Amino acid sequence: MSNVRTTERTTAVGRARTVLARRTEGRAVALLVVVAIVAAVFEPVVFSSFPVVLGRLALIGLVALGLTALILLGELDLSVASTLALSGVVMASVPNLGLGIIAALITGIVVGLINAFFVVVVGINSFIATLGMLFALRGAAFVISAEKPVPLENIDAGIAFGSSLLGPLTPRVLLFFVIFAVLQILLSRTRIGREFYAVGGNRQAAIDVGIPVRRRLVLGFVISGVVAATAGIINTLELTAADPTAGSTVLLASFAAAIIGGVVLTGGRGTIVGTLLGALALSILQVVLTLSGVQVDIQDIFIGSILLVAIISDPSSLRTAWVRLRAAITRSRTRDTARGLTGNAADQ
Amino acid sequence: MRVSRITMGALSIAAASTILLSACSSSGTAGNNSADNGKKSYDVYALLPQGTDQPYGTTYLPPMKAEAAKDNIKLTITNSKYNADQQASECDVAVAAKPDLIVLWPAVGDTVRPCLAKAKAAGIPVTVTNSGVNKADVSLTKGFSGPDTYGQGVASAEIMCDITAGKDVGILVVNGLTGNSTATTRHDGFADTIAKKCPNVKILAEQPGNWNKDDSKIAVSEMLTSVGASKVQGIYAADDTMVAGAIDALKARGIDPAPLFITSIGNTKLGNPLVVSGELDGTVFQSSSWDGQHAIDLAYSVLTGGTVKDQFMPSVKVTKANATDPSVAPEW
Repeated sequence: MSNVRTTERTTAVGRARTVLARRTEGRAVALLVVVAIVAAVFEPVVFSSFPVVLGRLALIGLVALGLTALILLGELDLSVASTLALSGVVMASVPNLGLGIIAALITGIVVGLINAFFVVVVGINSFIATLGMLFALRGAAFVISAEKPVPLENIDAGIAFGSSLLGPLTPRVLLFFVIFAVLQILLSRTRIGREFYAVGGNRQAAIDVGIPVRRRLVLGFVISGVVAATAGIINTLELTAADPTAGSTVLLASFAAAIIGGVVLTGGRGTIVGTLLGALALSILQVVLTLSGVQVDIQDIFIGSILLVAIISDPSSLRTAWVRLRAAITRSRTRDTARGLTGNAADQ
Repeated sequence: MRVSRITMGALSIAAASTILLSACSSSGTAGNNSADNGKKSYDVYALLPQGTDQPYGTTYLPPMKAEAAKDNIKLTITNSKYNADQQASECDVAVAAKPDLIVLWPAVGDTVRPCLAKAKAAGIPVTVTNSGVNKADVSLTKGFSGPDTYGQGVASAEIMCDITAGKDVGILVVNGLTGNSTATTRHDGFADTIAKKCPNVKILAEQPGNWNKDDSKIAVSEMLTSVGASKVQGIYAADDTMVAGAIDALKARGIDPAPLFITSIGNTKLGNPLVVSGELDGTVFQSSSWDGQHAIDLAYSVLTGGTVKDQFMPSVKVTKANATDPSVAPEW
């Protein structure tokens, strides 16, 4: 009887271990726990300021969600911040708010398609292609805005958009969670999502089994573009003006959220939930540091250090480091033994 | 594999804990805990777009902190690095912290209305420093202290009008960071005055130099190529850092800057020697210490219910005639 119980317990523990081993969000959870404890000790006001934390989460996390879908395919999009700025400027340049929002979303789709064209059809590396787009789109934002912020025609609509709908939920936060839910379902519950992982994990194998790799890549770039454009729309509404320089910190913050969330930059591994947790941990961290009066330069050092810890604590990095260390120790011991033998021979 | 995951988790938690604990424990020195001198103490958030990352911010902060210490004000200072989204988010944090007052230096003037509205709704007074807000938003603030940025553009243009003395000249214009309200108002002050007082001065081309010497050097070099160096007889740059870049660009082309008509704004440690040497014809004095000190001076007036009046820094013209005068000694 006790043997059966032990076996059942072992099996359950084994299953739990297997499930945990498959998850990639460990570092984000660890950071979140630490940040929450530090916040509880030093700045407990964070826990009564949900609108602030959720607002920061939506600011950091929204673009990161779209970017995660693309990174899972093994591609990068460095033009997201410029897409954000351009779509905001396009939106504010159209007098009718509804038409402006549609124009901004179309901008995001077009940018995604152009990026996809360069990467999928022309065959340029996505880092290079989207780097070029980063500059081109930022330039376009400056030209359209005549190098000045473009105020919304209806500023009151913008102010209303920034106010709470229910408790800490503002339209920005709600939109963030809607986009999160859509991408989570797409990537974890649909065939398309499984194909995203397959394309990012092993592109040749994905081609061999008949996955429409090119179409999935196009979809990934369009998702990234549309989500960045949505962030541009939200920013413009909340600030009541489109700033052509907007989004200057978005790119790095988005990558940081995804990396801390366990998304592997080479593709095929990671989750939208991980990115959400990474963005949440970073958001609470930034709010705590700001409330504590830590200067932004120092904040950057801490966030950079945590990012570094997240990267070097990746299991594959640790394994590689461990293997290299063991090899170095073995080599050193072999040399010492050889020297000892030579010394002994000389003594004789 | 299991061992590496456990190691990874432990390492992550240990490292993140160390980093965060050191951050928060060191933050005590970031605030300004003045000794109790019998005055009532106040909590004030200063939402700035620059700090020790810029020469102006570096010399703006010490007098600000000193004045705050004198008035028993505990300052929490943020730096959005001219990012409007970042400043909006910092404003949310400030409003949530419920300080006695917020000092706001707008990163982008057009985008601060929601921040001002939230502060007003929370009953937190806001004073504005260095760069003004839009006219429609002034009613949401308690007062302004800082340079008259439009007036600085006017003063620099007046120097240009004086030195060109009616001659037809073509000039290049190097503006500040695009979208920044100081950049916009200085440009407007300069352009309006040129059009009104000396239409003999023609703006041939203009580009942003982003308050940066290297960017300005590149911008001027490009403009010299595009309009033709022989057609250029002068340059206006929106600050001394950028005018130094512009002068470097001229020298790189083998052009002597001395005979050209060159004006700027700032009278900084970079610009003042150029005025003395004759390479820069004139600049406009901007005192960072005055700016930082008066930001708190105004805030304290609001907090104590004293008389609140907008405080404008005088726009003193600095030319070779007065460049060595101690009253205009450069500060940053």
